[in-house]
Amino acid sequence: MLHRLGILPLLVKMFIKSQMEYRGAFWLDRLAQIISYGAVLLGMWILLQKFELLGGWNWPQLALLFSFQLLAYSLGASVSFTQLRDLEELVRLGTLDALLTKPVNTWAYLIFSGLNIGYAGHIILAVPVLIWALLAAQVEWSIGNALFFAGSLLSATLVTGAVITMIGATALIWVRSNHLFAIFFGFWELTRYPLNIFPGGIQVVMLTVVPLAYISAVPVAVLLGKPVPLLGDLAAPAALLAGPLLVLLAVAHWRYALSRYQGAGG
Amino acid sequence: MTALIEARGVSKRFRQHKRFPGLLGALKTLVTTEYTEVAAVSDVSFDIAAGEAVGYLGPNGAGKSTMIKMMTGILVPSAGTLSVLGRTPHQERMANARQIGVVFGQRSQLWWDLPVVDSFTLHQRIYDIPAARYADNLKRFSDLLDLTPFLDRAVRQLSLGQRMRAEIVMSLLHDPKILFLDEPTIGLDVVAKDAVRRFLAEINRERGVTIILTTHDLQDIETICPRLIMVDHSQLIFDGELGRLRAALGSARRLTLEFATDPGPLPLGTATLTSDEGLLKHYLLEREDVSLVQVLSEVGSERGLKDVALHEPDIEEVIRTFYQRRNAAAAAQ
Repeated sequence: MLHRLGILPLLVKMFIKSQMEYRGAFWLDRLAQIISYGAVLLGMWILLQKFELLGGWNWPQLALLFSFQLLAYSLGASVSFTQLRDLEELVRLGTLDALLTKPVNTWAYLIFSGLNIGYAGHIILAVPVLIWALLAAQVEWSIGNALFFAGSLLSATLVTGAVITMIGATALIWVRSNHLFAIFFGFWELTRYPLNIFPGGIQVVMLTVVPLAYISAVPVAVLLGKPVPLLGDLAAPAALLAGPLLVLLAVAHWRYALSRYQGAGG
Repeated sequence: MTALIEARGVSKRFRQHKRFPGLLGALKTLVTTEYTEVAAVSDVSFDIAAGEAVGYLGPNGAGKSTMIKMMTGILVPSAGTLSVLGRTPHQERMANARQIGVVFGQRSQLWWDLPVVDSFTLHQRIYDIPAARYADNLKRFSDLLDLTPFLDRAVRQLSLGQRMRAEIVMSLLHDPKILFLDEPTIGLDVVAKDAVRRFLAEINRERGVTIILTTHDLQDIETICPRLIMVDHSQLIFDGELGRLRAALGSARRLTLEFATDPGPLPLGTATLTSDEGLLKHYLLEREDVSLVQVLSEVGSERGLKDVALHEPDIEEVIRTFYQRRNAAAAAQ
């Protein structure tokens, strides 16, 4: 099985080579991404000039929240989003059938043959903002804190990939999954803000059914020593465990969905 | 002879939400918990031995592709047992995949934006094909299907015929024991169809690759497949040699006799007169055991016979007769 992994870098190479067939469009797309996310950040800055605090969070703290969320999302989504969003199309056109006749893990093939280098734009914006915010927000650094930062970023990345995988896999059963992605992005936009500014019902949803609070609000609040609604002292372990646990759930869900796959047409 | 593929009472049913007519019906469809079951394959059994070439034929929606998808491990049968190379395909999908090749006429497995050869290289890695074997197969198949001129061209720049030839070559690079083809000649022009057919017949004959092919094009079956499995409304309705289908149906040969002078009405015992144009008379040879010599000796030499033409029924005619009789029988019940 392990020698099989050697195929994955080749898949990535082939995908990048395909993308570079359209490299003009590629760089224009990246620029558009940076501008659009930059505009969101600018909006928050303007808001904070007027109100100074949002739910008890100041500008550098919110910039930390924004950049942590953007980085975790772009890392997680680069190994999942476009591939699983397009799974619906692969099912509808029957292309997935051909993939299922190959002696490779279907998920791995799908992910690595579409590894989205297009998230470079997000990362180019997120990393400098994150570094600035970590310094400006006066995080009290310790070894524990540094490990928590790295661990929770990884966990947040896994949460993103796992949730997207679970949504995408529904296309194997229902053929359509885009409506669920619309709901995902609805909640995802909320994760740019502290959890405590939302009504209790939304907080519960974002910590349980749509567990997106773990990609930003929970870990960043822990890092800043701020209280996390509902979770309290459990916030730190929850932020670290959410990723691995959701990955296990996503694997089980993927397998179940594949066993229920009925194809479309033909 | 042991069977490579064994199907025993295989069925596949799809569950669908019940659909209701009209606008109110559409709203009802959204919330209904009622299901209807659609049978795509019902109680189908057959054995396929190593080295056979089998045409799987039937009208749209008869369950051809569903059967291929079950044999390749994509779909799980609802009932019955299916064994391919001694395995249950959906349970050992990956192990099964290593020993089969699959070509979907309407779904490309090549990388659209990259040169053909890049997809082949990936295929080599996925299937662990030793370098020498790969080079050997690539050369041999490329020569046979004349692929060399466009191996380095991006797939999106190829014609449909070129692409399909490349798809078929790719599916054979790892020396599969069985090659499944789902409508491999669909949309191809006459020349490309002919090249594909001759190639498939050759690799079946020379390399002993077992071929299972679904098609609408009866010529595919005539050229490649001595054995025919026919399905209709999810059920198997015929399994055997094409010749046996002809004989069983009595799809008659047609005979045209041309005379120098009109001999008048000429009924024969060995053949049935169907139309009489005077100099040209058309007969049906309904019995398989009647030979042309017997007919000609009955006509005799003194009637001024000038020319003879015998038409074997083509496969389209055979199958049309089959479906017509079936439908007539169903209507009579």
